Amino acid sequence: MSADEFDPEIERLFARSPQLPDAALFTARVEQKLQKGSHIRFLALGLAGVIGGVVAVRETMSVNLGAGDGVVAGNALGQGIRSVSFNTQSAVQTGLDQLGLANLELGSMGGMQMFWIAAGALIAVAAAGVMKLSQDM
Amino acid sequence: MTQSLVDRHDVELAALAAAGGRREFGELVRRHGSAVRGLLRRMGAQASLADDIAQDAFIQAFERCAEFRGEGTFAAWVKRIAARLYIKRVAKEARYVAEVENEDAAPATDHAGLVDLDEALKALSEPERLCVSLCHGAGMAHPEIAAALNLPLGTVKSHVKRGLDKLRARLQPPGQPLGSAQHVG
Repeated sequence: MSADEFDPEIERLFARSPQLPDAALFTARVEQKLQKGSHIRFLALGLAGVIGGVVAVRETMSVNLGAGDGVVAGNALGQGIRSVSFNTQSAVQTGLDQLGLANLELGSMGGMQMFWIAAGALIAVAAAGVMKLSQDM
Repeated sequence: MTQSLVDRHDVELAALAAAGGRREFGELVRRHGSAVRGLLRRMGAQASLADDIAQDAFIQAFERCAEFRGEGTFAAWVKRIAARLYIKRVAKEARYVAEVENEDAAPATDHAGLVDLDEALKALSEPERLCVSLCHGAGMAHPEIAAALNLPLGTVKSHVKRGLDKLRARLQPPGQPLGSAQHVG
C-alpha cells in the first residue's frame, strides 16, 4: 500500500469514535455546566441591572433639571421631564387614593424617600427574578 | 407534532442551540462527546485532561453556536475548537517541543489482528502524534497547524510524514495489507 493510499485509511480510522463507557456521564456534566453558567450569567445580569437602576434613580433624583439657565434646549428638556414626572406622580397618587392610601402624599416626599422607594421596587423585581430562577432549577 | 431530538439533524439542533436551546445542545453533546474526547486522547491528553478540555470545548461551542453555519460537520467544528484549546494548554507547558521517542512500543495489533489506532499512536513522539492528530483527526491543514503550534511549516510537514510512516509500520500487520484488517479505531 502506498503512502497516498494510506492517508484516507488513517482518516477513516480517526473518524471512528471510540465507545467510551461514561459517555452519558460526560453529557450530563456538560449540561450541568451549561445550566450553571446560564444561572450565574442571569444572576450577574440581574445584579448589574439592579445596581445600574439604583444608580440611575439616584442620579435622576439628584440632577437639577432646570440648571443651565441660558440653555433653551436644556430647559425644554427639563420642563418636559418635570411634566412627565408630575403626570406619573398624579397617576400613582390616584392609584394610591383608590387603594385607601390617600394619606400617603408622593408630592411631599423628599428625593431620598423617592430614591428608597424606587430602590425597593427594583430589589423586589430582582427578588422575583431570583424566585423564578429557583423554581426553574 | 414536534419532532424528537433524536430525529433532528445536527445543523438543525445547532440552530436551536444558538437560540438558547440547552436540550438540543445536550443532544449534540450526546452524539459527538466521545468523538471529541477520543480525539483529545489521541492528541496525547490524559483521560481527565481530555474530558476537561472537551467540556470546555462544548461550552465554548454552545456560546458560539450562532457561528456554526453547517459548512462542515458539527463534530469537525467542535473538534477544531477542542484541538485549539488543547494546543493552548500544551503551548503553555511547551510540551510539543519535547521529542519523546517510543520506538520500542509493541505492534498495534492485538491477538485477533485488529488494528488499534490508539495503540499505534503511542509509538509516535509527542509532536508527531499531535501533528498527525490535528491533521487527520481535527482536519486542520498543515499551515493552520504550523500557525497554531508556532512551528515552521516544514517542521509540521516532517512531523506528519514521520508520524504517518510510523503508523503505517505499526498498523500494518506482517504479511497483511492494512485495508484487510478489521479496525477498532
